[in-house]
Amino acid sequence: MPPSVTHQFTWPRRTANRVRGLSRLSPTAAAGVVIIVCFGVLALFSEWFMTHDPVSSYPNRILQGPSFEHWFGTDGNGMDIFSRVIYGAKFGFGIAIPAVIIAVLIGIPVGLIAGYRGGALDEILMRIFDGLRVFPSIILALAVVAATGQSLLNVVLVLGFLDSPVFARLVRAEVLALRSSNFVESAIAAGNPTWRILFFHLLPNTIQGAMAQTAVRAAWAVRISATLAFLGIGIQAPTPEWGAMIRQGAEFMVTGQWWVAIFPGIALIFLVFGLNLLGDGIQDILDPRRRASK
Amino acid sequence: MRQPILQAKNLVKRFSVGRSSSYVNAVNGVDLTIHRGEILGMVGESGSGKSTIGRTLLRLTDPTEGLIEFDGRDITSLSAKELRPLRKDMQMVFQDPWSALNPRMKIGDLIAEPLRIHLKLSEPDLRDRTELLAKKVRLSTEFLNRTPSALSGGQLQRVCIARAIATNPKLIILDEPTSSLDLSVRAGILELLMELREETQAGFLFISHDLGTIKLISDTIAVLYLGRIVELVPKEALFNEPAHPYSQSLLSAHLPADLDAPIQRLILEGEIPSPIDLPSGCSFHTRCPAAVDVCKTATPEPELIAQNHHVSCLRLKDGGNILSRQQA
Amino acid sequence: MNLLKITDLQTHFVFHDIDNYRREARALNKVNLNLNRGEILGIVGETGAGKSLTAQSICGLLRPPAKVVGGSVLFLGKELLSLAEEDLNDIRGAEIGMVVQNPKSSLDPLTRIGDQLVRIHQTHTASAVSVARSKAIAMMHAVGIPDPEKRFSAWPHELSGGMAQRVLIAMALMNEPKLLIADEPTTGLDVTVQAQILELLKDLVRRFEMGTIIITHDLGIVAHYCDKVAVMFAGEIVEYGTVTDIFRRPGHPYTKQLLASTPEKLKLNEAGSLGGQPPDLFNLPEGCLSQDRCSLASDQCRTPPPVITLETGQTVRCHFALQ
Repeated sequence: MPPSVTHQFTWPRRTANRVRGLSRLSPTAAAGVVIIVCFGVLALFSEWFMTHDPVSSYPNRILQGPSFEHWFGTDGNGMDIFSRVIYGAKFGFGIAIPAVIIAVLIGIPVGLIAGYRGGALDEILMRIFDGLRVFPSIILALAVVAATGQSLLNVVLVLGFLDSPVFARLVRAEVLALRSSNFVESAIAAGNPTWRILFFHLLPNTIQGAMAQTAVRAAWAVRISATLAFLGIGIQAPTPEWGAMIRQGAEFMVTGQWWVAIFPGIALIFLVFGLNLLGDGIQDILDPRRRASK
Repeated sequence: MRQPILQAKNLVKRFSVGRSSSYVNAVNGVDLTIHRGEILGMVGESGSGKSTIGRTLLRLTDPTEGLIEFDGRDITSLSAKELRPLRKDMQMVFQDPWSALNPRMKIGDLIAEPLRIHLKLSEPDLRDRTELLAKKVRLSTEFLNRTPSALSGGQLQRVCIARAIATNPKLIILDEPTSSLDLSVRAGILELLMELREETQAGFLFISHDLGTIKLISDTIAVLYLGRIVELVPKEALFNEPAHPYSQSLLSAHLPADLDAPIQRLILEGEIPSPIDLPSGCSFHTRCPAAVDVCKTATPEPELIAQNHHVSCLRLKDGGNILSRQQA
Repeated sequence: MNLLKITDLQTHFVFHDIDNYRREARALNKVNLNLNRGEILGIVGETGAGKSLTAQSICGLLRPPAKVVGGSVLFLGKELLSLAEEDLNDIRGAEIGMVVQNPKSSLDPLTRIGDQLVRIHQTHTASAVSVARSKAIAMMHAVGIPDPEKRFSAWPHELSGGMAQRVLIAMALMNEPKLLIADEPTTGLDVTVQAQILELLKDLVRRFEMGTIIITHDLGIVAHYCDKVAVMFAGEIVEYGTVTDIFRRPGHPYTKQLLASTPEKLKLNEAGSLGGQPPDLFNLPEGCLSQDRCSLASDQCRTPPPVITLETGQTVRCHFALQ
C-alpha cells in the first residue's frame, strides 16, 4: 500500500492500539493517565467549563445548595463553587508541577555528584538531606513561609526543596550501582572528564527510578499545599484553591452546608489518587520482568 | 627492530580484601614490552591476572609497584587529569560489548565520543569521521542512529573497536574481545584486527583464555599463571615446543575441533590456587608434574632459551620441564 | 527401545507487546532426535539456535512465553509431553538428571552442599538420612571433590567454579539417572578444569551407562567426547549424525561454515565475512532458514528444504544435500 495513503489515517488507530496496549500492560497506569488528562484539560481550558466567574460573588445567593444554576452550590461569599473547583485545578497543577521540577533540579545533581564522588562530600550531603527528610514538612513550611511572607511562590519553593532528598537518594543509589560498571570504565578509558561522565553516561541511566517517582511526589506536593492552605498558609481567600476552599467550608459543615467543603475535597482526592495511580503504573511498566509475560 | 610503545617493569598489583589484612595478589612481578606493529597475545586462566594487567597498563587502576613507560614517558604515577590527554593514544576494547557501551547513547555518538573529547572538530567533520570509522570496521552506517540494543554482539564489538581506533592510538589493549561472540562472528573481528595492525602500526595487547584464538592472532605470546609470565615466546615456538610445564598442560587441555588432532592428555591435578594465598616459591609447584623440592622455596626467573623465547622454570637445567619425557 | 526418542518437537514463543500485541515465534521447529544408553549426543549451535530450549522442552522446564505446541518426547516409551506436573517431578532428578550452566548461581546459597545432595535423594527415595548421607559422600568422591566428609558441610559460596560444577554433576547423578542432560557444563570454566570435568563425565557415563546429551557451542568438545552430533540453527536441526561422519564429510552448508570457522581451520584472509545477525525468530525467511547466509542459496531455497538421509546415515536439511 502506498505510504502516503495510509499515513494520514493511521495515527488515530495507532494511538488506539497504544492505549489498548497500555491498558493491557498496566491498567493502573491507564486509569491514572485518564484521570490526570481530565484534570489537565480542566486546568488548561477552565474557561470552557466554568459556568460562572470564579471570583465574583453573588451577595444574594450566599450558601445556596447545589441547584440548576449553581451545580455545586455557592459558598459563604456567594461565589459559585463549581467554577471555583474547576479553576482550582490550575492551582493543583500550578503548584505540583513547579515543585516537582525544583525538587528534581536540586535532587538529581546532588544525587549524581554524591554517588559518584563518594567520600566526605557524599557523607555531608546525605546527612543534610537526611535531616531534611526527618523534619516534619508542615512545620518547616510554616516556618519558612512565616519568615519570608505569604505567597504562592514561597510555597512552591519550599515544597520543591523539601522533596529533593527523595530524588537525590534514588539517583544516588543507581549511581552507586553503576559507577563501577563496564561502560563507565570504558568512558573513563576514552578520556571523558568527570562532568561528561555524570551528564552523558550516568544521568540517562540512573534517572528512571526518579522519573517514576515524579507522579507520586506531585501527589505529595498537591496534598501538602492543600494542607498548608487549609492551615491558612501561603494562599489566601478568595483565591479558589481547594485547600483554602475546604478551610472555608469546614466551618459550614457543622451548620449543614456540606457542599462548600465536600466538592473541593472530592476534587483533591481524585487528583491525588490519579497521580498515585500513574506513579504505580509507571513503576509497573518500567519493571523489566513484565515485558515477557503473557 | 620494532619500536617499543609500552614497557612494564616488575609490575605488581595487590587488592586488599575487605577489612582483613589479606590481599589478592593479582599481578606479581611482570615485565613486558609491546612493540609498534606487533600483536602480543596474553593467555591465562582465572587468577592469572591477565585482565588486571590490561587495566593497570592503561592506568585504569593503579599499580602497587613497578614501572610503566608509555611511548618513552613514565606514566606510573601520573594523576587522572594528566592522564586524560594521553588517553587518545592508548585505548581499550573490553570483553563484553553489551555492558561496555552506554545503553542510552546512539552508536554514532558512542563512536564519535573520543573525537569530541580529544579533538576540536566541527559537527560536519565529526559526522564524516564517524562514517569513515564505521566503514572501516565494516559496520553499516544505518546503525549510527540506533542504540546498542538494536545490534548483535559482533556488531557491537565492531563499534567498540571503532571507538578505540577513532583517535589513531598508538596502543590498543583488547581484553577477551571475542570471548562472548559466536564462532562465525569471531573470524570477522580477528581479521579486522589484523588489518588494523598493518594499517596503523599500533601496538596491540590481545588478552584471552582461548588458545585457539591466541594462536590465530598473536605474533608473540605470553603465558600467565597466578600473576607471573611463565613463558614469553614467538607464536610458532609455543605450539611446536612449549617449554614450561604449565604451557604444555594448557596446550594439552585445549580441545581442537579436529578429529585428527593428537590429544596428549596431561590432566593436571587439583585446582588453581587462590591469588589470596599464593603458594611459596614457584606458584605452579602445587600442580606441576615436574615439581621437585627446590620448586617449593625458590622463585624462578625468566631465562632466555632461544631467540626471543623466555621461560621461568627451575627445571630447565636438567630438562625436567618437558612433561612427556617425565612420564616416560 | 530407545532411551529417548524425540519426534517433530515444536516449541513456540508467544509475546504480548505494547504496539503489536500478539506475536508468535517458532523457537523449535520439527526437532527429531534419538538416544540410546551409553551414547553421548552433542547438540551444537550458536546463541539462540534453540539448544537449551530443546533440553527444557524435554524436561517440561519451559517458562512462559515459551510453550511446546507439538511433537512427541518418548522417554523409555513414556510420552513426557503429556505427563502431569507431579509425574514429571518424579522423573526429573531421578531418571533424568540435568546439569545446568553457571554452577555458582544454580546452587541454593542458603543450604550446605551436602544437604542439597541429600535433599535430592530424599525427594525421590524413602530412605534413612544416614543412607542418603553416605551416598552423597560417595558421589562427591566419584566426582573428584577432595575431602568429601569435610566438604559435606561447605557452603556454595565457598566453592570455586570447578568445584561447584562437580557438585552439580553429583546432584544430577545422585539417583542414578538413565538420561543425563548437560547444558554447557564447562562454559566459563578454566581450560584445565574443563579437561578434568570432561574426562570425569566420560568416565561416569561409561560407568553408569547413561545416555547423555551435551549442549555446547564448542566443537572441540563435540569432536573428542561425543558419539553423535546434532547441528542446530534458528530452532531447526540442520544436520544430525555420527561425529565422524559429520566432521569428515559435513553435508549442510551451515555445518561446513561452522567447521571452517573454528580457530584450527580458519585461514583468516579467506574468511570473508562469515555469519551475521542471529536470525530474528519473529521474522524468519520463507523456506530455508539459513538462506541469508548461505553461498549456495537459490530460488529453490524459498521452499522449506526436505530432510534428506545420506548413505552414511546422517540427515541433512538442505535442498542440495546430495551434491
